This record gives sequence, C-alpha cells and structure tokens, in this order.
Amino acid sequence: MDPLKHLTQKQIDYCMECGLCTGSCPVSRELSNFSPRQMIKQVLLDLESDLMNGREIWACLSCAACSERCPVEIDFPEFISARRQQARDAGNVPQESHHGVLQTIAGLQTREVNQQRTYWAREAGVFADTGDVFYFVGCLPFFDVTFRYLNLSPLDTARSVLTLLNKMGVEPVISDHERCCGHDALWCGDHSTFRRLAELNLEVIRSSGAKTVVFSCPEGYVTFKKYYPQHVGELPFEVLHMTEFLSRELPNAGVSFQSSSNRTVTYHDPCRLGRLAGVYDPPRQLLESLPDTVLVEMERNRQYALCCGTSAWMECSSCSKAIQVERIEEAGQTGAQTLITACPKCQIHLSCARSAMDSDIEIIDLYAYLAMRLTTE
Amino acid sequence: MASDDQPQILAFVCNWCAYAGADLAGVSRIQYPTGVRLIRLMCTGRVNHGFLLKAFLKGADGLLVSG
Repeated sequence: MDPLKHLTQKQIDYCMECGLCTGSCPVSRELSNFSPRQMIKQVLLDLESDLMNGREIWACLSCAACSERCPVEIDFPEFISARRQQARDAGNVPQESHHGVLQTIAGLQTREVNQQRTYWAREAGVFADTGDVFYFVGCLPFFDVTFRYLNLSPLDTARSVLTLLNKMGVEPVISDHERCCGHDALWCGDHSTFRRLAELNLEVIRSSGAKTVVFSCPEGYVTFKKYYPQHVGELPFEVLHMTEFLSRELPNAGVSFQSSSNRTVTYHDPCRLGRLAGVYDPPRQLLESLPDTVLVEMERNRQYALCCGTSAWMECSSCSKAIQVERIEEAGQTGAQTLITACPKCQIHLSCARSAMDSDIEIIDLYAYLAMRLTTE
Repeated sequence: MASDDQPQILAFVCNWCAYAGADLAGVSRIQYPTGVRLIRLMCTGRVNHGFLLKAFLKGADGLLVSG
C-alpha cells in the first residue's frame, strides 16, 4: 500500500466531525455543496467513489485554512492531493483555466526543449552559470507572456530580485535549462509529470554546483522544501525563500531605501508561503525596515489569511471571483493605498478581480516594491 | 500511418475556405504528404493558443492554421 495513502487514511480516522473545516473553508461559503467534512466522511464510510467521480475534489484550493484549525490536525490538502491522482487516473479531470496553456507548457518542459528563460536577465543585471546561490525564477517568463492582457509584467518580480541581489553583491545562477517546479502538476493530480520535472530540476541545480537555492515564488519554495523530499528524496542543497534570504542578508549588505508617497501598505499572505511553509515574519520585517512605511494588517492575516481564490490554474469560477473581491475589499478597509503580494499568482488573481471592481488600491509585488524604494544615486 | 521520418503536421482548417481547398485538391487528385492531418473547424477564430500548444505536447512537429 502507498505509505502516503496509509498515513492519510489513518489520520482521517481521527475526525471528530466538529465541522470546523467546513466552517473555515472559503469555498464552502460560496459553493453550498462543497464540504471538507463531508468529503472526509465519504471516505470513512467507504463512499470514496462519490468523491472520485464528483467535481468537488477539484474545487478545493488546498489553502489549508481548514487544517490550520482542525483540532486533530488532519492535513486536508494532503488528503485531497493523494486522491486527485486516483481521480485523474479514473478519468475525472479538472477544468483547466486559460485554455490549459500553463499545464501544457509544464508538460512540454518534461521533454528536451530549448528554452530562453534568461533573456530578461541579460538586461536586468549580472548572473552566472555556476556558483553558490541559484535563483529559481520559476514560471515568471511564461506568465509574462500569458498575462499581458491584465497590464501586468510578472517578470518585473524577477528583474527586481536580480537588482536587489546584485546590489547586495550576489551574482546568482540563473539557468535556461530550469523547468517548472511541478507544483501545478502535483495539485492537478498529474504525479508522473511532477516527478519528471523534479528530476530534471535537480539535475540542472546539481550541475550548477549551487549550495543554496532561493525562490521568489512561494509555490516553488514549498514544492522544493516539502514535496520534493517526499517524492524524490532529500535535496543536496539548502532551500530558502527570498524573503528569508533578504531579511537575513539585507541589513548587513549596505543597501539603503528611500521614502515614498505610497507609504501605508498591507500585506497579503500567500497560502503556500504562510500556512504551507510557515513563513510569516520575514516579509513583514522587510516592509517594516523601509523608512516611513506603515504596515497595516488586514482583519484576516497570517495563518487566518484568505486565499486568493484559485490554485494550480484550474477551476476558476464565480466562487474564485467572490473570494478575490472579498479579499480586495478587506484590504481596502485597512486604509492602505497599496496591497503587497509575495506570490505571482496572488498578484495575477487579485489584479484580475480588481480590474472589474471600483477600488483604488494598488496591487504591487513585494520585490518590485522593494526595488522601487531602493535609494537612487 | 505516416512513416517515422515524415514530419507530423496538424492543420486547423476553416470549413468555408481552406477545407474546401483541401477537398478540391482531393477531387483534382493532387497529392499531399500523408503526415498532414486536418482538423476542420467552422471558423479558424475557434483556434486559441491552448490548441496550438497542446498539439505540440501530443507530438505534432508543425502546425498550419488556415482560414
């Protein structure tokens, strides 16, 4: 028996049917027939086929708001993830967003492909082919092409990160041969694509000789930190999120920031960085270290933060939009002029919802905001 | 089936022009490579970038959108 399945099966036996999961779930509030508690109960009562054939298995955001509060610590995202692969094998597949292009792009990266992943970096700064620090850029070059219609340039995140690293005297490795981290394949139940991508990435990083791999994307970070060891074994390098790296290294790097007109900011915790990886303080420390900057918290913050409404580029629906609108309104209520996100997908999803809303709040990526505030000589 | 050394070309063709053209080519007994496969659409406006990428994922060597 699959050890993961055994563990989850054993773990869900502890369910006391308190319903805190369904009460905490942002999807359950919008879709009345979606209930984490009921899904656990279905499996306990051997009605697993109902779960396998239904649409609900794909509606979960895997945001972990439920498991954060579960008194018996059932890892609901893990429970869902294990069953999604079985559902896919049985022919129950998710409704992919954006015509499925992002899943297809990930699939193409399991092959021998010539990618031009570093074209932006040649203009943005200095990088190397080998070295101690590897900057894992992730899907940003692909998002940059896909989401132009939202007037967003997700590559600004990567450019800002490279600018910051160069200012600190770090010339990171950036590679054309990097692959998608496999996060979306994993959460879409496509474990074979996930494993292949993981193997290829480990090969690329190994050949660069890096001892530390830094991520600006929370999904890449949590996938390497939590899911790569589970699926492909222990990693021979240190995995750090860029906010951890910057909050540790920036204070001693002699980099200074200037004040700005948009000074009151609020921070949206991405679920991958917060609840799944437990990184809450480093991004806040970075924002608070900027001169004349006031960080105001939204009503639901840290482990109670609301998800951005969609995950793994699938099942985007009116439910996703309702969650996004709720989050933007919550940000507006803080009185902040700027909503800072630390995840490219949160930025894309919230910007998409905001484009149809009457809201003045600006949505800026954390690294773009930091780079914007760098002291100009 | 086409032989392995022949490129596999997937063609998205419009019912009202390119498909009619391919049909006329057939009626006129004009040969074209067997590696070309046609997908007939009522309008090539139906094609989106998802179709094109997926064709490459499924093993196409080249694509033709004609309409």
